[in-house]
Amino acid sequence: MDVVNLAFVAAVLGSSAPVLYAALGGALCGRAGLFNMALEGQLLWGAFSAVTVSWWTGSAWAGVVAAVVTTTVFSGVLALGAVTWRADPIIVAVGMNLLALGLTGFLLRELLDATGTFAPAGLPGLPDLDLLDGVPVLGALLGGQTLLVPLALLLAVAASLWVNRTSVGLRLRGVGEHPEAATSLGVVVPRYQRATVLLAGALCGLGGAQLSLGDVTAFTENMTSGRGWVAVAAVMLAANRPLLVLGACLLFGAAEAWGFRLQGLGMPQQLTDAAPYLVTLVVLVASRLRVRRRLDEADPVAAVSAAHPEAVVHPEETR
Amino acid sequence: MSDLAGRLRPAATSALVPLGAVVVAILVGAGVMAAAGVDPLRGYDAMVRGALSVSNIDFAVASFTAILAMSLAFALPARMGEYNLGGDGQLALGGIAAAVIALHLPAPAALLLPVCLLAGALGGAALASVAAPLSTRAAVPVIISTLLLSAPAVALTSYLVRFPLAESGSSVPQTPRLPDAAHLPSFPGTSYTNAGLVVVLLVLLLAVHVDARTPVGYEIRVAGANRGFAAYGGLSVPRLTLGTLAAGGAAAGLAGAIIVMSQPFRFIDDALTAPGYTFAGIAAALLAGGRPALLPVTAALFTILTVGSAGMERDVDVPRQLGQVLQAVVILVLALRVLASRWTARRAADAAGRKG
Amino acid sequence: MTDRLPDVADPAAGAPPAAELRGITKRFGPVVAVDGVDLVLERGTVHAVVGENGAGKSTLMSVLYGLHRPDAGTVLRAGREVRLRSPLDAIAAGLGMVHQHFRLFGSLSVAENVVYRAEPGRRGIFDRRAAEQRVAELSDRIGLDVDPTARVDTLPLGVRQRVEILKALHREAEVLILDEPTAVLTPGEVDSLIAVVRTLAAQGTTVALVTHKVQEVLAATDRVTVLRDGAVTARLTTARTTAGEIVEAMIGRGLQPAVNPRGTVSSDPVLEVRDLRMAAAPGAARVRDVSITVRAGQVIGVAGVSGNGQREVVEAVLGLRPVQSGSVRLHGRDLAGLGVRERRALGIAYVPEDRPGMGSAATLSVADNLALGHHRSPPLAGRGRLSPRAVRSQATELVRRLGVRTAGVSAPLGSLSGGNAQKVVLARELHHEAPLLVVEQPTQGVDVGAGEEIHRLLLDHRARGGAVLLVSYEISELRALADRVLVMLDGAVTADLDAADATEEVLGAAMASARSAPRPEEGA
Repeated sequence: MDVVNLAFVAAVLGSSAPVLYAALGGALCGRAGLFNMALEGQLLWGAFSAVTVSWWTGSAWAGVVAAVVTTTVFSGVLALGAVTWRADPIIVAVGMNLLALGLTGFLLRELLDATGTFAPAGLPGLPDLDLLDGVPVLGALLGGQTLLVPLALLLAVAASLWVNRTSVGLRLRGVGEHPEAATSLGVVVPRYQRATVLLAGALCGLGGAQLSLGDVTAFTENMTSGRGWVAVAAVMLAANRPLLVLGACLLFGAAEAWGFRLQGLGMPQQLTDAAPYLVTLVVLVASRLRVRRRLDEADPVAAVSAAHPEAVVHPEETR
Repeated sequence: MSDLAGRLRPAATSALVPLGAVVVAILVGAGVMAAAGVDPLRGYDAMVRGALSVSNIDFAVASFTAILAMSLAFALPARMGEYNLGGDGQLALGGIAAAVIALHLPAPAALLLPVCLLAGALGGAALASVAAPLSTRAAVPVIISTLLLSAPAVALTSYLVRFPLAESGSSVPQTPRLPDAAHLPSFPGTSYTNAGLVVVLLVLLLAVHVDARTPVGYEIRVAGANRGFAAYGGLSVPRLTLGTLAAGGAAAGLAGAIIVMSQPFRFIDDALTAPGYTFAGIAAALLAGGRPALLPVTAALFTILTVGSAGMERDVDVPRQLGQVLQAVVILVLALRVLASRWTARRAADAAGRKG
Repeated sequence: MTDRLPDVADPAAGAPPAAELRGITKRFGPVVAVDGVDLVLERGTVHAVVGENGAGKSTLMSVLYGLHRPDAGTVLRAGREVRLRSPLDAIAAGLGMVHQHFRLFGSLSVAENVVYRAEPGRRGIFDRRAAEQRVAELSDRIGLDVDPTARVDTLPLGVRQRVEILKALHREAEVLILDEPTAVLTPGEVDSLIAVVRTLAAQGTTVALVTHKVQEVLAATDRVTVLRDGAVTARLTTARTTAGEIVEAMIGRGLQPAVNPRGTVSSDPVLEVRDLRMAAAPGAARVRDVSITVRAGQVIGVAGVSGNGQREVVEAVLGLRPVQSGSVRLHGRDLAGLGVRERRALGIAYVPEDRPGMGSAATLSVADNLALGHHRSPPLAGRGRLSPRAVRSQATELVRRLGVRTAGVSAPLGSLSGGNAQKVVLARELHHEAPLLVVEQPTQGVDVGAGEEIHRLLLDHRARGGAVLLVSYEISELRALADRVLVMLDGAVTADLDAADATEEVLGAAMASARSAPRPEEGA
């Protein structure tokens, strides 16, 4: 394998990681039967809190811990609103995304005294991995990355094992698929939903930290710019399966990395920026068309309502 | 007697919840200002003056025009249960469409003005319409497809004003100034407020009429309440989805056209999306609930928040993003309206239990 | 404590019964669903709990399984009083229940479904192999053939039911309640279910079999308790009773519905379905060469176990589902290629089985629910406008005419009781004055009084010369309303009977007949 291709794969891994964290969280929520559309806001909050605490303490890892903790707290809004109080999860998510946008902008001014972008000299970022220097392929793949990049990949595998190979994972799969059946066997469905929502918050904290302390060392207003929504699309695309989520996110990362390459070849940035969203949407539509065709044959009557978000979580079980 | 009381109570609660949401938001804002070391009364005073003082009202009314149109962009598809979150892209595409026509069609104002507005509406409608077949044929939820379509649309307009449509010699990414024939006529004594307000109000009246008094409005409500029921009744859900999304996109595109056809009469990169009209519109639509006739009131409220927070930033140095925070609080409290209805239901059940 | 009459069974030497209900009363609002019922389930017996719909048998079993808390009475398990606050308490007490609607996870395997929340494994790791072995053991023990690794949603309903039984056995259930277990089964599956039930009893499991089918009672059970109107009308030993005795206890003497007065049947057919064929699809049954003719002033009933193609035929008539071949004609006009709207405009009204999902919108007002289909024509609409006042006044008139009980026409439909909501649907469809009315399960989930009114409305409609295609799973309903009864089995019409000949026995035999027409080659 030549170095150029490895560098490309490394770039893909790097730009996928934040989306992957968010999408893994979304997939676990989907497994519990809750469509988490507040990923964008949580990622943004994670990115902001990581930078702030990193600046205050002088330790990037303290920033990561703060991002995990505070984003988990923030996700409590969804856990409390949509699960405990059974409010419409979509509206709660819209409110949370806007809240994160406003609050990070507000606090950027109030706490860090910056407008637009905060990237002072001396803001500690996450160190690059040097453990694998000299190791053939792996060193080139992960050498320029932070620890959070391989961690994301490991977590995807771990999430898959957790869902498929543990008792709790089995119960989780049942909860989202048929809550009444799970309840009838003594599983407390809201408890699983709350737990996965909070877990998704922690994962979004990691993703946000990677975005603001790993990819770059800076916080910019609205710096997630839709990555959380790409994660939502990845969750749909993968039908909540963690390993497929990994695949979908790598695809997104590849589109972004290709965008950078095209920019290098003189393509305007505005157009290459659009590529990941369009690629995500096209792949999503293609995969849904297949599901839909099956559904149409099965039951044209039920297919009418299949486009609703509730039906999206488990496309196969709309009947 | 008790029947009347029974009918009044739900009406009272349904008005109470939005009011409560606003009150909670105001209190949260006061808390945030106090925490930032600003007297909340001074802060809110600055906010209201920032929107409504003599020198600011002109710009505020122009913003109101945009926010009202954006509230329609969300509210029309929401009538069917579809969430259009792609307002930014529709707004930008509408603005660029109007700018292109204005810059390239030499025509007198009487012709150019309606054509430009129409082009803007078509631009927004075209983008929003894409989400309809994606939803009805490919089962991709509108809320996701509109968002994913929005970012590329905004990027496209950004590219256009930097390269093919850029004003030569300018360092700002913007189009040249539109010809005079494409300037919406202002009211006497105003420079921002113009005929665009009248156009949007007419569109609102049309929407209210269609919603309440036409068979199509009824069908949209039926489809929003239960797709299966609509299909059973022979209504075409795909066509209604397409129609409401196109109408919503057209409202957003119209807003974009009105903005570029007002002061300073150009499409400036970011100028349409940066003020946050889309989310102010969403918040206004959610606050109005299922009553389009209330949109002017709620849109006015969020105009004060949006425009006034800039004044607040100038006068008392509270970051303008507080406006967004307050909008978010309103939305979150509205999401919890189910609590209020559950509470009243329980009280009603208790009352019935005591009687029985 | 034991001053009550012993059940007909002589108690097995000394051992207390596996389960016992004493003086159970359960009310829902003003309705007394179960009124002071005693029931003794002897260990190792199969005990039939029979009665017509609404007799209280499901409520009684729900009390036994902890789903409902009784207003009075006690539940004993192996001689000891137990307080069942939820099904979880019931499971812990060694009770198991197989519901009519299965509670299975379609995307999980059989083994995963069986062991769910009682998984084998160590330190949280799910031991899939142990689970599969456990399922294999259990199914061996009762002579079932179930593949533990199969995904549940790929399995036929009969096998899914076995998964439910295995679920209960895995949880060491000693008393197994089967609620209407044969409603979804093919005749062959019914036979093997009966074999399983007998095996279970022989191994010491106690089975309560809830049913309204007399043949099953005779074939599968040891004891019979018959309920009517929430009270016990007979306690019988199966070996010493007859079908006649059971039916009499179920429906009471002289309550046989009088054969209804016939309308004048004209000779012109309103609906002609000819040689209809539809392919099977996931979630949809196949239809094989079905022909049905409905004339003005006639009610044609379609009987059969749910899922034998009735719904698919109805959806083909309405234009909701495409057909493979065959024709649907209304007044001689071929409806091929027409959508739902056009067909309804030509004169088809439809009361669907799925009322909340299809026939109404719970969040819309009663008035809005009554307007659908009428909303583009006078008096409600004219010149592109819809008059809210006309919508309300028409609704007020319909509500009055059909005696719908509601707080007002602006109340949301969801606030109405099941019977009143069904009357709203019926009112809307009758108001079309359409030549053809298609009705599915008109009295499902409706209390007895409202059910009778609905029957009267349908008969009135026929008397005015309307044609009605009635799909029902209730034999008594078909006998009360239909002029002719067709029986559907596996997508084909297997019997066409005059209402007078359509006795319970004849229909039951036709619905369950294993000697149906030879299976044609699978359609492409």
